[in-house]
Amino acid sequence: MKVHVDSDRCQGHTLCSMIAPDSFVLDDIEGHSSAVSEDVPPDQEDAVREAAQSCPEQAIIITESS
Amino acid sequence: MSVDDIVSDSDRKKNRYHFDRHTPEYRTQFEKITEDIHAKCPVAWTDTYEGHWVAGGSQAVFELARCPVVSNDHDINGERQGYKGISIPTAKRASGVRGGILEMDEPEHRIYRTVLNPFLSPAAVKRWAPFIDDVTRACLDEKIEEGVIDFVDDLANVVPAVLTLAMLGIPLNKWSMYSEPTHAALYTPEHSPDLDRVNAMHREMGLDLLNNMIEIRENARPGIVNALIQMRIDGEPAPDLEIMGNLGLIIGGGFDTTTALTAHSLEWLSQHPDQRERLSRERDTLLDPATEEFLRYFTPAPGDGRTFSDDVEIEGTQFKEGERLWISWAMANRDPSVFADPNEIVLDRKGNRHFSFGLGVHRCIGSNVARTVFKSMLTAVLDRMPDYECDPEGTVHYETIGVIQGMRHLPATFTPGRRVGAGLDETLEKLQRICDEQQLALPITERKDAAVID
Repeated sequence: MKVHVDSDRCQGHTLCSMIAPDSFVLDDIEGHSSAVSEDVPPDQEDAVREAAQSCPEQAIIITESS
Repeated sequence: MSVDDIVSDSDRKKNRYHFDRHTPEYRTQFEKITEDIHAKCPVAWTDTYEGHWVAGGSQAVFELARCPVVSNDHDINGERQGYKGISIPTAKRASGVRGGILEMDEPEHRIYRTVLNPFLSPAAVKRWAPFIDDVTRACLDEKIEEGVIDFVDDLANVVPAVLTLAMLGIPLNKWSMYSEPTHAALYTPEHSPDLDRVNAMHREMGLDLLNNMIEIRENARPGIVNALIQMRIDGEPAPDLEIMGNLGLIIGGGFDTTTALTAHSLEWLSQHPDQRERLSRERDTLLDPATEEFLRYFTPAPGDGRTFSDDVEIEGTQFKEGERLWISWAMANRDPSVFADPNEIVLDRKGNRHFSFGLGVHRCIGSNVARTVFKSMLTAVLDRMPDYECDPEGTVHYETIGVIQGMRHLPATFTPGRRVGAGLDETLEKLQRICDEQQLALPITERKDAAVID
């Protein structure tokens, strides 16, 4: 599973890092989010899916591996 | 206007709904009105307040709030298109001053917001946590031995106000001079006999703010006021009126919204003691989702006005340039297509992509402050007054919730406890010294460390 944050859409609501703190990191100055790593560790997949679903801007893009 | 235009106009506005969010009935009928709008017309035309659109469905709100031809601009002096900003109808008090970044479009909005971000980002706010906890502690110490508290007057009005002044760089002991008129302006109707007194307090606050600005311009001290004074746009300082507008927005946005969220949440938890006990016990996992759920359900700032800056079709509705729009975060937050059982509070709700801080580039810049202050107050009450019971007789909700879904009073009783520190005045004196010594109001770019409270 892969994840990235669309930086044009992200407005720094911070829900992703609240839900999946190991997978998303917030910029110190603007508070906008980016993925810690494009590849999601298996034990983080559920949290990352929940973060994507909870994003008010729908800015988190997940690609499930086939 | 030709016959064809009239036909097409009535066709465009075929979803009609009489919508007046400034009546007391709107508060009592909110769930029914919301269900009506979701079922019949996610976007409706209403004739109230010279006519405007109302967006209540989550998908329409999502698209409209992020639409580049939906404008926040408040053109006070008729220099651009004459748009009226975010208030519907234009509030008398707000007609002469633009509401800071919330009433600006790009690129102007971005220029000012970039100045404010380093004071309000998650990392910036986290530095204040020990300061916030100490203000909260002092508020509870004032009341803990009595066994009686008003959660609005004695806690939720105080902590957000003190922190906001600290971040601005204004002396902490002025908090009530700022808090009272800000709060009262929202619940005092235009016809109230009390309006003169409230307006006088408002003027006193405005004057003090202006004096602080002059003082800080002469003798810089850290904080948001200083940053707005120091900023340059194409080499020129920002106009004083825009600085005042932004300071007014931070004060107005920072005070009453967090108060409203805290009071409503504490009231609900008093009515649901089993949930309160669970929240306290499982706070490590439950505090974050519960905070988001309270935000969703109570939506302290229920919506914003906008103006279409071009003709556009969104979600099947055609909008014309110049038409006004009310985007209802509160109604989008109850859309059953996004939130199962939308009228229930589910503390561990999943996928809670609520609309309470708005969407798009105007996302509430104080959202990190609101969450941090709310969590400090809530957990301190759960720890020190775990059996509190709110008194429904003394509870006063705002009569109308068109601007803020707030509360005036929330008295409660609890088993008395022991003080653990100084009272509020003494604590604020100490915290002022700490603010000054540790330069707490510097932006995150200049100071990374958390406050140290001795």
